[in-house]
Amino acid sequence: MKIALFIPCLVNQMMPHVGIATVELLEKLGHQVILPKGQTCCGQPMTNSGCFDEAKKTTLKLLNAFKGVECDAIVCPAASCLVAAKENFHEFDTSPEAQAVIDKLYELTEFLHDVAPIKAFNKPFNHKISLQLSCHGIRMLDLATPSEQMGPRTNKVEAVLKAIPSIEIVYPGRYDECCGFGGTFAVDEGAVSAKMGKDKAQAHAETGAKYAVGFDPSCLLHLDGMMRRQKLPIETLHIAQVINAAL
Amino acid sequence: MSTNHTSGAGSAVHAKKAEIFCKDEARVDWHSKALWMLREKRDRAASSIPEWEQLRELGSQLKLHTLTHLDQYLEEFEKNCLANGIQVHWAKDGIEHNQIVHKILADKQVKKLVKSKSMLTEECHLNPYLESHGIEVIDTDLGERIIQLAEQPPSHIVVPAIHMKKEEVGELFHDKLGTKAGAADPLYLTRAARAHLREKFLSADAAMTGVNMAIADKGTVVVCTNEGNADMGANLPKLQLHSMGIDKIVPDLDSAAVILRTLARNATGQPVTTYSSFYRGPQTDGEMHIIIVDNGRTDMLQDKILAESLKCIRCGGCLNTCPVYRRSGGYSYNYTIPGPIGIAVGAQNDDTNSIPWACTLCGSCSYVCPTKVPLDKIIHHHRRLKAKAGKLPYGKRSYMPLVGNFMASETMLNCSMSVARTALRILPGAMLKPFSGAWGKYRELPIAPKSSFETWFNKNRGQ
Repeated sequence: MKIALFIPCLVNQMMPHVGIATVELLEKLGHQVILPKGQTCCGQPMTNSGCFDEAKKTTLKLLNAFKGVECDAIVCPAASCLVAAKENFHEFDTSPEAQAVIDKLYELTEFLHDVAPIKAFNKPFNHKISLQLSCHGIRMLDLATPSEQMGPRTNKVEAVLKAIPSIEIVYPGRYDECCGFGGTFAVDEGAVSAKMGKDKAQAHAETGAKYAVGFDPSCLLHLDGMMRRQKLPIETLHIAQVINAAL
Repeated sequence: MSTNHTSGAGSAVHAKKAEIFCKDEARVDWHSKALWMLREKRDRAASSIPEWEQLRELGSQLKLHTLTHLDQYLEEFEKNCLANGIQVHWAKDGIEHNQIVHKILADKQVKKLVKSKSMLTEECHLNPYLESHGIEVIDTDLGERIIQLAEQPPSHIVVPAIHMKKEEVGELFHDKLGTKAGAADPLYLTRAARAHLREKFLSADAAMTGVNMAIADKGTVVVCTNEGNADMGANLPKLQLHSMGIDKIVPDLDSAAVILRTLARNATGQPVTTYSSFYRGPQTDGEMHIIIVDNGRTDMLQDKILAESLKCIRCGGCLNTCPVYRRSGGYSYNYTIPGPIGIAVGAQNDDTNSIPWACTLCGSCSYVCPTKVPLDKIIHHHRRLKAKAGKLPYGKRSYMPLVGNFMASETMLNCSMSVARTALRILPGAMLKPFSGAWGKYRELPIAPKSSFETWFNKNRGQ
């Protein structure tokens, strides 16, 4: 398939390794990857603050970067940004062209689970990983059934990763409790955000896993800062890095 | 709706109060764990019913239906109450509510009122009002009595004294009720409270309760407690009063049954409250009054998104699951009702304009809610309303327009991030920390890459 990458500002500026792993793994799976120009931010920091006027210009800039781009899917390695982009595109542009872009938007895990499943992994991943099920991915994108919900359970993240040879998947206590990043919450509500992050980082470390693996770079960046401050014997990895290493 | 007495001019914003609460980390852990235990009990209770998710859907639909036909059901309720010999009063706000209650009590020369937990009377500030008119008010729910003796407002809507440790209750009871010094055994303390309250029940002139549900086609109110205190109150004196918000109405017994099945399960993990009493008329020679209160609720109904917060049945499940509430405590919210539902129904009265941001928008509350109140969407909406009204918290007001322009410009974003990355790479952490605000105060700064992804892509995939 021909895939246009949606690379959120945080990944572009601070976590390029997530973008690189995404490109490499998609290419190993036989896809053609392009990077439409003009992407900055999905507008989430502004809309989540209530500032819709301030978000409009940025959101439309991102939307315009994808309008008319020839591709089969637009893939993003960041669940929260993906959800925000979808919602904000709807909010500010109701045209059929905008809808065409929205219809092609996929988060990376979602794409690898629902659209183009991986047939086989070539290499083992000889480590225990603790899965970080970030909020927007599970509660707004249905990547996994949230713990509050009763009935049948699905977990696309685990389903994608468990096919990797030798991988051991575990979960932290209170496995889908928010890590406390919350965008500007991390700065505005520093004390509570840090306590949530500390608790989550410790819960991951207590599993004895070598890596805490997630699909949302922003949560991982926050957890990484907490883990290093607490000097915990665990590191963060993005799901793209794990998959790329096993292909 | 008026604001709670922990609020008011000069009161600290949520983040500030939360930061103070967070200073005692052992207490935060204890608070968080106590509430998480309720969440776990809730999960076990909910999973024991195969039709749980259908019940949530039913609960949501029946509340929405009632809210969209409120006039019809309230009139039906009043008609049936009157037929049952119940006197019905209407109050547009808290002040009117308090005046009505006072008039009923004054007519009967009531000097002592036993009250069973009602968040509505907290919302209306009834206790101080009656006390200023010389009426003694005794809250009879154990948790409520504890905080009443401690002269504090509730910090949770179902377990109002959850912030107090048993040792602290022991100290308080020693002071106020003369229990043994240093006693912290819950059984001993509960027995002391029981003896103390028994004396109050027997000498009270009137009883008042909140209302969990009001059944329109029967003219009946439902009161749920675990301690039997509402029943003890309502059945002893001849005068009984019940305060209810207009949102408590349900069409019939079948709908009440749906809510009864989820209320206690979602609150404490019990199959049902120990006492779920249906009051449908006065005692022989007695009087029963119901005060129906609006207090801002019809205003909320005008906004389609805010209206859904009136589906709430006050189980407290959203507080127990909320990672922010558990780590910041009830008093940080500047409103009688804390946590996600407190933000949903109280944000417009929050004079600090900070509580809609006391949330990471994780969405756990919306999924835990037994009537599917879309709490995270409502909180998000409140932020937008605050921004529109020019009431952003101070920090955001100053930086958000800049962020908006910054993010919309690739050149500005790329240049400044390139500078930031370089700074992060070459300057020692200690030099950067003072400039990195809350992030660097609590976390290590990110390990910055040499260049952006876009630079890598252009170089390696040659576009």
